[in-house]
Order: sequence, then C-alpha cells, then structure tokens
Amino acid sequence: MIEIFLVFVVFGLLGLVLIFMNRFLGPSRSNPNKEKPFECGSPYLQKDINPFPIKFYLVAFLFLLFDIEVAFFFPWALVFKEMKVTALVVMAAYLSVLVIGFVYAWKKGAFEWE
Amino acid sequence: MNNLAALSPLLCVVLGALLVLLLEVLFNKENKSYLGYVSLAFLAGGAALCVRSWNKLYSFFNGTLILDNLALFFFLLFSLAGAFIILLSLKYISDQEANHGELYSLLLLALSGMMIMVSSPDLLVIFLGLEVLSVSCYALAGLKRKDEKSAEAALKYFLLGSFASAFLVLGLALLYGAAHSMVISGIIEYFQAGTASKTMGLIGLGLVIVGFAFKIALVPFHMWTPDVYEGAPTPMTAFFSVAPKSAGFAVLLRIFLDFWGASAETEFVFWALWVLSVLTMVVGNLIALRQTNVKRILAYSSIAHAGYMLVAVLAGDQSSLVFYLTAYLFMNVGAFAALIGMSKKGKEYNELEDFAGIGFKYPWIGGTFAVFLISLAGFPPTAGFLAKFYVFSAAVRVGLVPLVVIGVLASLISVFYYLRIVVAMYMREPSPDREVTIDQENPALFLVLFLCLYGVLQLGIFPGNILTIIRMAVSFL
Repeated sequence: MIEIFLVFVVFGLLGLVLIFMNRFLGPSRSNPNKEKPFECGSPYLQKDINPFPIKFYLVAFLFLLFDIEVAFFFPWALVFKEMKVTALVVMAAYLSVLVIGFVYAWKKGAFEWE
Repeated sequence: MNNLAALSPLLCVVLGALLVLLLEVLFNKENKSYLGYVSLAFLAGGAALCVRSWNKLYSFFNGTLILDNLALFFFLLFSLAGAFIILLSLKYISDQEANHGELYSLLLLALSGMMIMVSSPDLLVIFLGLEVLSVSCYALAGLKRKDEKSAEAALKYFLLGSFASAFLVLGLALLYGAAHSMVISGIIEYFQAGTASKTMGLIGLGLVIVGFAFKIALVPFHMWTPDVYEGAPTPMTAFFSVAPKSAGFAVLLRIFLDFWGASAETEFVFWALWVLSVLTMVVGNLIALRQTNVKRILAYSSIAHAGYMLVAVLAGDQSSLVFYLTAYLFMNVGAFAALIGMSKKGKEYNELEDFAGIGFKYPWIGGTFAVFLISLAGFPPTAGFLAKFYVFSAAVRVGLVPLVVIGVLASLISVFYYLRIVVAMYMREPSPDREVTIDQENPALFLVLFLCLYGVLQLGIFPGNILTIIRMAVSFL
C-alpha cells in the first residue's frame, strides 16, 4: 500500500517541481510587448476579448431544468406505491412549477435559435 | 401534526410569484405596474393567513416547518418590506431602464426563501431557504441589464455569495458529522453536553457562522456590500439591506438562543462573535466617513447596524433584537425611499454634492430623509434611538460593558456621516454647475415615505404595542 502511495507522492511532487522550476530558476525579463496575446510586431486592432453571443448557456439552463427533473423522478418512482396520494400531489406540484418554467422559457423565446 | 395551514402563507407567496411570471410572459405589456399590484395582493393574502395562524403553532413536513409566533412576526415584517419595495419599484423600473416584470416574481420568491429560513428548526432546510433567497437576489442585483455597474454588482454578489454558501454547506456537513443532527436544538445539546472533544463541531459551527456573516455583511465578510449596494437598482438595494439581514439574524437568534452555556466551546464561539461585532461596528462606521456617494454611505451604515444587532445576539436578548430589526426596516427603507425620490427619468442623484440645498428645494423628500438619517444615527425621539437603547441596556444587564462602550463610541462616529448629509441638504448652497431637478410625480413613493415616517415615529414615541407583540412572539421560544 505505502509503496503505491509513495509513487503517487513522488510523481506528483516531481510534476510540481518541473512546472515551477522554470519560473524560479529561469531569468524573467518581461516587457509589455511580451505580454500581448499576439507578439507579431504590429499593434493589434481590437481588445483581446471580444463579446460574442453565447447560445449554449440557454441550452445549459434548459438542460438543467429538464435533466434535474428526471433525476427527481427516480427516487419518486421507488416510493410512490407506499406514499399513495401524497406522492401524486407532491409530484403534481413539482411538475406544475416546472411546466410554468417551461412556458416562461418558451414564451421568452429561449427556443428560437437566432 | 401536519396542518396545511402551516404551509398556506408560503404557498400564497409562491403562487403569486408563479402567476406574475406567467402574466408577464403571456401579456408582455409595456407598463408593468399591474404586476406590482398582483404581487401586492398575494403578499397581503399571505400576511392575512399569517395573522390567522397567530398563537396556533401549526407545523408541516414532520416538524421541519413550524409556524411559531416568531416566524409569523418575521413573515409579517418581510411582507411589509416586500410591499414597500414593490411600491418603490413601480415607477423606478420604467424610469431607470430596468423594466422587467420578473422583478416582482423574483422578489416574491426571495420572500418565500426568507419565510422558509425563519420558520424551520432544521439547518438544512434553512440552507434551502437561504439559497432560494440568494439566487433571487443575484438576479435582482443585475436587473438593469444594460448598466455595467449593475452587471458588476450581480456578478460580484453571485460569485462571493456562492463561495459563502459553499462554506456554509461544508460547515453543515461537519456539524452533522459531529452532532448527528441538523436540528438546531440537537446541535445546541451537542455543544452543551459531555466532555468529549468538540473540535469538528466547532469548525463546523465556525464555517456556518462565516456563511451567515457573509449574508448579513459582518466585517470581515463585508467586502461585497458597498459595490453590490451601489450597483444594484436602488429599490433592490433597499431590499438587500433590510430583508436578507433580518432573515439571517432570525436564524442566528434561533441558533444562539440557548447556546451560551458553561462549556469552553460556547465561550470560544461567544468571543469569536464578540470580535466580529466590534470589528463590524468600528470598521463599518470608520469607512463610511470617507464616502461621498450616499448609496455607499448607506451601505456602510447597514454594515455598522449589523454590528449593533450582533450585540443583541450576544446579550441573548431576543425582544431587543427583533425590535431593532423592526425599527431598522422602517428607517432604512425610508432612507432608501428618499434616495429613490432623488431621481428623474434616466437619471439618479446619488452623490453627496447633489444633495446641497435639497432640504429647501424639495421639502418633503429632504425633511423625511433627514428624519430617517437622524433615526439611523440614533437620536430620540425616533425608533433608532429606542432600538439602540434596548440593545445596549440588555447588553449592560448581562455585563457586556466593554462591548457597549465600543458600540456607543462607534455610533457617535456614525453621527458625523449621517449629519453630513443633513447638513448638505439644509446648509449648503447648491453649486451652479450641478443642476438637480427631480420628478415628484410618484404617489407610491410618497406613500412609502410617509408610512416609514409613521413607523419610525410610532416605534420611537409609543413603542408599547409593538413591544407587546414582540414579547408574545419571543415568549414561545
């Protein structure tokens, strides 16, 4: 056991040492031109970060909405026979909240890929 | 045991939130005021259900949601705060490019989160409520979507807030591991009984305190407060400064109600909170001295007030803490209402120089603002004076004299920056190059101003009725 652990420690430390050795031992002669994203000699025309439209965050949100829903269904499916009507009411309440969220997203145009 | 009546105020508010969301998206009208009125109706319904449950001690979910009188009192307090904020937002959002009807829905959801927080004895459920509250608040801070400062406020609030939540969850995990219970009474029992080592529980409780200290903005966990308060739309700032703070203190009140026992661990927690309280009072007030933006001054002032409230927690005096929160609600919402009054379409006046001569130019806004500031500074005959008086006298009764001396000195410092605004309003000539004209066509704002003025004076001059109710509320604990 301990040998395996030691192997991990040694290689982990070695990795760290190799990463940082350059920084500690090497000379650091920095100037503003070196810090630029493109070191090609001519001044760049734009800021280095441009805002660009991300559609995928909407997809991610909606994925959350509907995926978590399924995740809640599994434990519910295991116990709904014992819980009888309560289970039905609880899941109905939960689903109605989700449906309202769905209608909201739909009407807000979250599904229009423009 | 399970009584649906226990759930009814919460359900009412959540239904209101969902309905507002649907109305907003189905009708999509330019004028969002009707959504505000719908939310007000649901808030009023929730408040009425609260009043009906008074003294009944309903509970639901096998005792994880208990409507004792303290919870009901806080429900009513939150509903009042929510109603004030809705009234303040009616005109503001269309004037300041924040015209999103989701505001009302998010506000109601935040209120429901706070209701969960104050009515549960289970720390895990409290955390659930806290997250509902926090997530709504992050969105509310970024309501002015085109405004850079508002976006910054939302992002800062979100990042730091989720960081604090992570601390809280880790603390809860450790506490559960140590005490084998998530219920507050179980945790208190664990800390007071036995002689076994409680290091893990102590670390857990420490992390939980860090999480809550962030939410109620205690120094040194206050860094987000001024930026978020400055960037967020002003009615939302008023909401942040009052409501999450009250909810956080309600939870602290429940945790530390019977906590101060003889064991060494509780002693340690006591001194940790003692240090937090002193730091909060002193640092909050000192930094406020250097601010020139009125919104930032009020932000630091709300930090400092959290310090005074912590004194009440340390003194173990529930009724003075609840009274302080009530008084603070009226004076702080009032002050922010006056600040919202200092605006016209597309322009807000938040700098100290803008206030020069306002007292004579706009006597109602200037006059009420002056009263609220005097109350925040703690002068009689206002609510702020009595609130501080009750807190400090309760602390002296249990022998916390050094803490009270520091508190009084800190509030003396605070007089300077509060009166600086009053002096600017009444004794400075407006500079000719800063033209300040404000739009006074806002009846809802004046309604809030006068209700807050009434609250501040009622609590300051005849506090008897409210104190009786508060005593009834805390006697159940």
